[in-house]
Amino acid sequence: MHTNQCDHQWEMVNAQPGFIITEICHKCNLVTTHFSKEENPPLEEYRDGEHFWNVMASAQSVSFDLQCKLCKSLISFEELSSLMLCTGCKTDCKVFKLLKRSSDHSVWVYVAFGFKPYKDKMQLSKEKLKILEDYFNMKRRSTKSSIKIVSFEMIDDLDSCSGGFIMDEFLLSLEAPKQK
Amino acid sequence: MKVKDIVESLSLNVLTDIDDKDVTGVYISDMLSDVMNKAQAGNLWVTIQTHKNIVAAANLIDISAVIVSQGYEVPDETIELANRYKVVILSTDDSTFTLGGRLHQIGIK
Repeated sequence: MHTNQCDHQWEMVNAQPGFIITEICHKCNLVTTHFSKEENPPLEEYRDGEHFWNVMASAQSVSFDLQCKLCKSLISFEELSSLMLCTGCKTDCKVFKLLKRSSDHSVWVYVAFGFKPYKDKMQLSKEKLKILEDYFNMKRRSTKSSIKIVSFEMIDDLDSCSGGFIMDEFLLSLEAPKQK
Repeated sequence: MKVKDIVESLSLNVLTDIDDKDVTGVYISDMLSDVMNKAQAGNLWVTIQTHKNIVAAANLIDISAVIVSQGYEVPDETIELANRYKVVILSTDDSTFTLGGRLHQIGIK
């Protein structure tokens, strides 16, 4: 993937705005998310094998790669759906416990989410999480705090998680045509 | 120039505790994904967004302060979260355009 001898200095490249589309199959209730780079992604119901997909929601986002300025290694982050700031909504959550370990609040914990269904889609590796963390920490001027990025897999109960997601909902959301 | 200097120069409203960071420039955007992509550490971030997710974006990039323009009211939930994560939120009744001009006039580019 990239040379281990380089003291990487990452920069964000190939940034592509688009939409995170959330779809649900009205037959089996399976929920799927994906990133669409199309200016006008299709919103109508469509059939794909046994599934009948309907768009539930959309949010503007950006996909990107990270490239090392020194060795030119290019790392894709196509598995990354969004980043969420842990706000400590559940005190027994492993992510919150990680946040609390920094008693002087000098480490802020962000959670990297992949695309659904989580078990069927490729998720960010530990190596990529570390690269992403290094990238954002390199950009920080403040020496008082740093960022820790963990996988969403650390959260036991995703349904009740209510952190601060970095995505743009409702600003220019796409809406499926209303049923007659 | 530091955050407090700018607050005084432009008579901005201070909505949170102040962490008097050095200001490196300005980034104007109402899209969190755009800020994550292009804003730089130490930037002032000018926006009309007020929901709590601006704290997530500002903290990630190490923004020096968020300035909510055009007189939009910032909910208590956002202010509480910002104080917890030491994100400075300021506000003004100025339009984004006017604020940009005033920042430029005092030397913030």
